[in-house]
Amino acid sequence: MSILFIGTASGAGKTTVTAMYCRHLRRKGVRVAPYKAVNLSLNSYVTQEGKEIGMGQAFQAWASGLKPSGDMNPVLLKPSGNGRIQTVLCGTPAGDVTEKKSMDAPLASAVAYEAYDRLRSKYDVVVCEGSGSPVELNLMDRDIANIGLMRNRRVPAILVGDIERGGVFAALYGTWLLLPDDVRPLVKGFLINRFRGDASLLDGGVRTIEDITGMKHLGTIPYRSLKFPEEDSLSDSDGRLSGDNAEEAFMSNIDALLDAALEAGVDFQAIERLH
Amino acid sequence: MPVASMDNITKKVKEEIDRGWIGPDIECPYHPCHFIGQDCTFCFCPFYPCNDLGLGDNIAGRLGKPIWQCTYCLLIHRPEVGRHVMSEIKRLGIQDPKDPRMRDLFNDVKERFYRKGRALMVLGATSDAGKSVTVAAICRILHKRGYLVAPFKSQNMSLNSKVTPIGSEIAMIQTIQAKAAGLKNPDHHMNPILLKPKGDTRSQVMVEGKPFGDYDVPEYYDNFVPGPGIEAVKRNIEFLKQRYDFVVMEGAGSPAEINIYDRDIANMGAAVVADADCILVVNVEWGGSFAYAVGTVKLIPERDRGRIKGIILNNVLGNPSNMEPGAEELERILGIPVIGIVPHADVDLPSEDSEAFRGMSSRGSGGVRISVVKVPRIANFTDLDPLYMEDATVSFVTRPEELEGSDAIIIPGTKNTIDDLLWMRENGLDKAICSFKGKIPILGICGGYQIMGRLLKDPQGIEGKAPQTIEGLGMFDMVTEWDEYKKKVIQDQGCLLETGEPVTGYEIHMGLSEVNEAPLFRIDRFKDSETEGAFRKDDMLFGTYLHGVFDKPAFRKFFLSFVKKGGKPVKMAEPKDYDDHIEENIEKLALVFEKALDIDMLMSIAEGRS
Ligand code: SF4
Repeated sequence: MSILFIGTASGAGKTTVTAMYCRHLRRKGVRVAPYKAVNLSLNSYVTQEGKEIGMGQAFQAWASGLKPSGDMNPVLLKPSGNGRIQTVLCGTPAGDVTEKKSMDAPLASAVAYEAYDRLRSKYDVVVCEGSGSPVELNLMDRDIANIGLMRNRRVPAILVGDIERGGVFAALYGTWLLLPDDVRPLVKGFLINRFRGDASLLDGGVRTIEDITGMKHLGTIPYRSLKFPEEDSLSDSDGRLSGDNAEEAFMSNIDALLDAALEAGVDFQAIERLH
Repeated sequence: MPVASMDNITKKVKEEIDRGWIGPDIECPYHPCHFIGQDCTFCFCPFYPCNDLGLGDNIAGRLGKPIWQCTYCLLIHRPEVGRHVMSEIKRLGIQDPKDPRMRDLFNDVKERFYRKGRALMVLGATSDAGKSVTVAAICRILHKRGYLVAPFKSQNMSLNSKVTPIGSEIAMIQTIQAKAAGLKNPDHHMNPILLKPKGDTRSQVMVEGKPFGDYDVPEYYDNFVPGPGIEAVKRNIEFLKQRYDFVVMEGAGSPAEINIYDRDIANMGAAVVADADCILVVNVEWGGSFAYAVGTVKLIPERDRGRIKGIILNNVLGNPSNMEPGAEELERILGIPVIGIVPHADVDLPSEDSEAFRGMSSRGSGGVRISVVKVPRIANFTDLDPLYMEDATVSFVTRPEELEGSDAIIIPGTKNTIDDLLWMRENGLDKAICSFKGKIPILGICGGYQIMGRLLKDPQGIEGKAPQTIEGLGMFDMVTEWDEYKKKVIQDQGCLLETGEPVTGYEIHMGLSEVNEAPLFRIDRFKDSETEGAFRKDDMLFGTYLHGVFDKPAFRKFFLSFVKKGGKPVKMAEPKDYDDHIEENIEKLALVFEKALDIDMLMSIAEGRS
C-alpha cells in the first residue's frame, strides 16, 4: 500500500506533512517507510551505510521509527553552484548535470521506481512525497516524482496547499486542473496547511473546491512554528535544529504537530482508507 | 495652493501674468511641490475659485463661510495646461483674473485637456507575489511617459505607516509608489483603508488616514466592509480618477479567496467599482506558478474574470527564456497574454511583507552588529531600513542571551508600549539591556523611547489592558502618560542639535511624555520651534519619537559615530539621503520591468483598449 503527498508549490509543507503521516502510522504500529523519488536539495544526510539522501527523508525515517536508507530518496540533486547539479543515485554520486548535459531521465526514473518497489515489498505502507509542483508546464513531461510516480505505479495522492501565503484555493484548483487526465482521478483529497485562526471561516471555500473537483477535504493543519530545516531551501520555517540530538528535537516537534493536527480534526482515517 | 484671501490671490495672479510662462521653476525652494515635471507658471490659479467639484472642494472657513480649496487639484500644473493658459491670456490681452473671459478660458481648458483618468489594477496570486513592486514599476513607467499617475490600494494591512503633510496615516508602501509616480505629496486617497493589527485578533481600522474603529475579522467583514468600507473605496477611487490620468491599483492577498469573494473590497470588488482592467502577478520563485495563475483566473466568477487582461510571471531566478514554453501554454489555456517574464530584481526597497519579516533573524552583512529588540507588537520597523546602507548587520533579538556581542541596541516602535514592556520584563530583556548601559549606544524610537523612560502611567487602561503605572528602564528622567484616547500624528522637520544638520521624520503615538533630559533635535513648526528627544552623551543613550529618524544622514552618522567594533569606529558609507537611495532603487526596478514587459500591451491594458 502507498500514498503520495503532492504540493501546490515548493514550500507547501509536503515534507512535514509526509513526516507527520509517517508518525501517525508508526504510532498505530504500522510498518511504514518514507519515500521521495527525486529531491532537489542542498541539505543532505549520510546514512550509516554511507548513502547520501535528502535531509527530509532522514527525518521522515525517524518519524517512521526507521534508520534512513538510500532507497528512501533514490534521486538526489544537489546544486553545486555555477549551474552545476550533482546527481546522487540511491545514495551514490553519479556525475553532474549542467545546462548542456541534462539528466539521463530514463535511467533516473528506472532507479527511482525500483527503489520504490523494494520499499513496497518490505513495508506495509510507503508514504511518498512529491517534488515541487506537479504542474510546472515547462517541466511536466519530464516529471518523475509526481505525475511519473502516479502514472507508473498508480499511487493515490493527496494535494497539500499552503494557506499562509494566500491563494490556497486557487493553488489547489489550478493544480488539479492542470494535471493530465490519466492521473487526475488519483488525487483523492486535499489538505490545507499552516492555517491560523478560525477554520470555520474557510468552510465556503473548502466546499466549493470539493464540489468542483471531487477531491475530498481531509483536514486543515494548524500553523506551528516548527524548528527543523525544511527540505527545500525555499521553505520559510524559521529555524534549524539546535543541540546534538537532532533526531530527538525533531521527534518532539513532529509529535507536537501531529497532536495539533489530530486536535484540529484532520481526518486520518479517511487518509488511511485511500492507501 | 494654500487658502488665501481673494484680493491677495488676484494680486498674485496679476504678477504671474506679468511674468509670463515659466515652465517648471526649479529655482523655487519648494519645487516640485506637486509632481516631478509640473508647470509652475501659476502657483496661484488664475481660475480661482472655479467651483468645479471634480477638481477642488469647499471647506468650512473660520466664520462658517465655505472656502474653495484646491489642495489636490493638479490641472493648472500640467505642463500643457500652464503653457496654453498663459498663451491664451496673452493672446486675449487679459490682465486681470476677474476678466469675465476667464470663465470661457476655463471651460475651453477643461474641454481640451481634462479627461477623467482610468484605473488599472495589479492583482497577486498570493501575498508577496510582487504586487507592490509591480505597481511601483508601472507608476514609474507611466510617469516617465509624461502621465499623471496615482497609486492606490483600497485596503492595506500594515504595521508600517507614514504620515502625510496634513497628518493622515497611510501605509508606507503607497508613499514609495507615489514617489515612483513622481508625486511629492502622497495622500490618504491613495490608501483609504489601513488596518493596523493590534497584536491580538483585532485591528485598528483607519479610514482616510484617521482612526475609525477597532474590528475583529468577522466584524470587519460583516459590519465595516458592506457599509463604510465600500463607500470609502468608491469615493477615493473616483477622487483620484478625476485628478490623474491613471490610477494604478494594488490588490491585497489573492483575489480568489472564494470564501470571502463577495466581501472582498481589496481585489475584484475594487476593480469593479473602478472599472479597472487587471494584471495578475505570479511569483515564480516558489514553484507552482502556473497552477496559481490558472486557479486564480478560473476561480474568479465569470462576470469579473474578463477584467484580467494580462499575466506577469515575476521574480524569475534562472534564465527567463526557460519559462517561455510554459508561458505560451498558459496563454493557450487561459486565453490571456503573458505580458512579461520578469527576472528577479535585485533592489533594496522597504517592503511590506510582515510574513517575510516574521522568519527573519537578521538582515544586512556589515561589520557592526546592531541588535533590534523584536517586541511582539513591533511597528514601523522600516525605520531601520537606512541602516542597511551602512556597514551594519541588524539582528532581531527576542531573548536576553541574543544581545551578547551587540555593538549597539535599538528598541523600536511598538503598537502597544505597555504590553511590550511587560513582555520584555517577563523574558529578562529589560535587565539585559540595562546591563549594556554606558558600554554601547542604546536608542529607543517612539514606543521604545517611552520604554527607556522612568515611569509609564496609564491610569485609564488606554494603552494596556487595565489601568496601571509601571516602571520603565529608567534610562531617562521621563514620565509618559496616557490620559485620553488621543493620537499625535504629525510630520516633523528640524535639525540635530549637536551638529545643526537637517533631520526629518514623523510621529505617530498615543501617550505624551514629560522629559527632563538634554534634547536631541530641534523641530521647526509652522511659526515657532520646539525640542524633541533625549540624549545622554556619557551613557550613549538616545531617545526620540521620530520615525524615519535614520532617513537623513545626519542622525544616522551621529548615532553610528558612537558605535565601536573592537574599539574601532564604524566604516561609514558616504552620507546619503535614504530618499535618494530609494529613488535609485525605484529607477533600477522600473528598468527591470521596462525591459521585461511588453509596453504596448501594458499601455493598451491601462488605456482600456485590450
Ligand atoms: S482649477 Fe484647480 S487650482 Fe484652479 S481654482 Fe479650480 S480647483 Fe483650484
